[in-house]
Amino acid sequence: MATADGVRSRQLSAEEVLGETLARVGALDGRVGAFLEVTPDLALEEARTVDARVAAGEDLPLAGVPMAIKDNMWVSGRQATCASRILRGFRPPADATAVSRLRSAGAVFVGRANMDEFAMGSSTENSSVQLTRNPHDLDRIPGGSSGGSAAAVAAGMVPGALGSDTGGSIRQPAACCGVVGFKPTYGRVSRYGLVAFASSLDQIGPLARSVADSARVYRVIAGPDPLDSTSSTEDPGDPESAVGKGTRGLTVGFLEEAQAEGLDAEVAGNVDEVRRAFASAGAQVKSVSVPRAPDAIAIYYVVASAEASSNLARYDSIRYGPRPPATDLASLYVESRTKGFGPEVKRRILLGTFALAAGYYEAYYGRAMRARAALSDDFERAFGEVDVIVCPSIPAPAFRIGEKTDDPLTMYLSDIFTVPASLAGLPAIAVPSGYSREGLPLGVQILGPRFGEENVFAAAGALERELALPDEMPRGVG
Amino acid sequence: MSSHSSAVTPDIVRRIAALARLRVPDDELPVWTRQLDRIVSYIDQLREIPETGPAARDAAPATPLRPDLPRDGHGDRALAENAAECAHGFGVVPRVVGGGE
Repeated sequence: MATADGVRSRQLSAEEVLGETLARVGALDGRVGAFLEVTPDLALEEARTVDARVAAGEDLPLAGVPMAIKDNMWVSGRQATCASRILRGFRPPADATAVSRLRSAGAVFVGRANMDEFAMGSSTENSSVQLTRNPHDLDRIPGGSSGGSAAAVAAGMVPGALGSDTGGSIRQPAACCGVVGFKPTYGRVSRYGLVAFASSLDQIGPLARSVADSARVYRVIAGPDPLDSTSSTEDPGDPESAVGKGTRGLTVGFLEEAQAEGLDAEVAGNVDEVRRAFASAGAQVKSVSVPRAPDAIAIYYVVASAEASSNLARYDSIRYGPRPPATDLASLYVESRTKGFGPEVKRRILLGTFALAAGYYEAYYGRAMRARAALSDDFERAFGEVDVIVCPSIPAPAFRIGEKTDDPLTMYLSDIFTVPASLAGLPAIAVPSGYSREGLPLGVQILGPRFGEENVFAAAGALERELALPDEMPRGVG
Repeated sequence: MSSHSSAVTPDIVRRIAALARLRVPDDELPVWTRQLDRIVSYIDQLREIPETGPAARDAAPATPLRPDLPRDGHGDRALAENAAECAHGFGVVPRVVGGGE
């Protein structure tokens, strides 16, 4: 990260960097809407602390790097509302573990990034607060649910951001906005201080302008945490060095099931270009099958909704959130939840409650869990043949604002390529891979086996160098 | 009556809404029913998966344990900062007995 290297070598101060960042956010965010709140005073304090630490001789990997944090993570001193009315005004008692590790590494927190309410959505249109626009075309969605994080990075307002990914919420917006987005193996990054959506799927990860920057942020936030019993004790290794390793000796598998009928012709053509790029980078290229991948959306909407209905049962306006008038406890629950949640969140809660209800549990939840295990087995077999798997990140370029809001199922299908890695807990990185005729970003995804991040970063770094896309500012904010 | 054999009926929506502590007004019931039915019909493609069989793989590592030592859970401060109403370190709620369901 050029910013961190400049501050580390004291050619720049974190305070100067922050000043430039705030000026750019001030100039652009009125059009983009990436931030729910910018916190200049707190950020200035943090920048000064970083400058003092650097002056005292500390070597900080993210010295002075201004970052946006998705609004579902705890950052001390700021609200964390999940862009929901039901958490309006919520002040977290501590930093999320990922946030505190960024803070230790010298990052500066610019503000809270917009998102789909409770991370449920693929367009950021489900925020209860505001729309976020795609910097490449302000009439289009930035993807979601980490749409604010992706748009802030794409518009050059911040060099990096944290998002969370339950079914594609880092990778899909990264692809829509033409930036790099990485979802680590489930368990690599502590979920402490991440507001829970679907606990067996949720994972925090970085969005950044390059594969190397993503690797650096990932390395800082990864590793075991006693505050999250699902965090893994496996050594995260050296992802930053892996980025430059190249693909010689690597077998890159292209997902056969992604060639299905109905795939956008430009997306298909772009995947062919990526295939040629890997071959020219010296990788061995072949096709690979994950036969149950087409079931992923059906499995996901049972499992994720069931977990969400359970996790979101805690929102009742007793311990946090605005409290509506009510004469008794039962009606307080109903009033606060009916007024506090938006339509998509209610839809998922209802769907999850249905899937878990007596009489439906075996037919829906039980069956989905078996299908999820079978999908993981498919991936395990596939990774016996190849080192990494490549498929598109998004089935088509970013759609227009409002285009899919009346049709939830069609919206859900936007995540067809990202959900399989989530269900199997695999690491997956979304890398920009070109532009459509209309000038909108296209992207591919590189998946690895569980804890196989190093090969994922090696392949992503090689692809980025081979394609050598220009790092220009998007035309919507140019 | 719906035109096809719906998995989700207005009665089911009413019932699950009550379980989820959500109110679905009568005028919104047809839309919710239609949308949920469409999603559940799509999910029904999983019916091709056998209803019995191994539930999950055993490959998941055992949950790591940590020493059982007291630490600050921040609960008191979080409650004091965020609850709509607090007294003597506890959240205050409306009456529990006598109303509602």
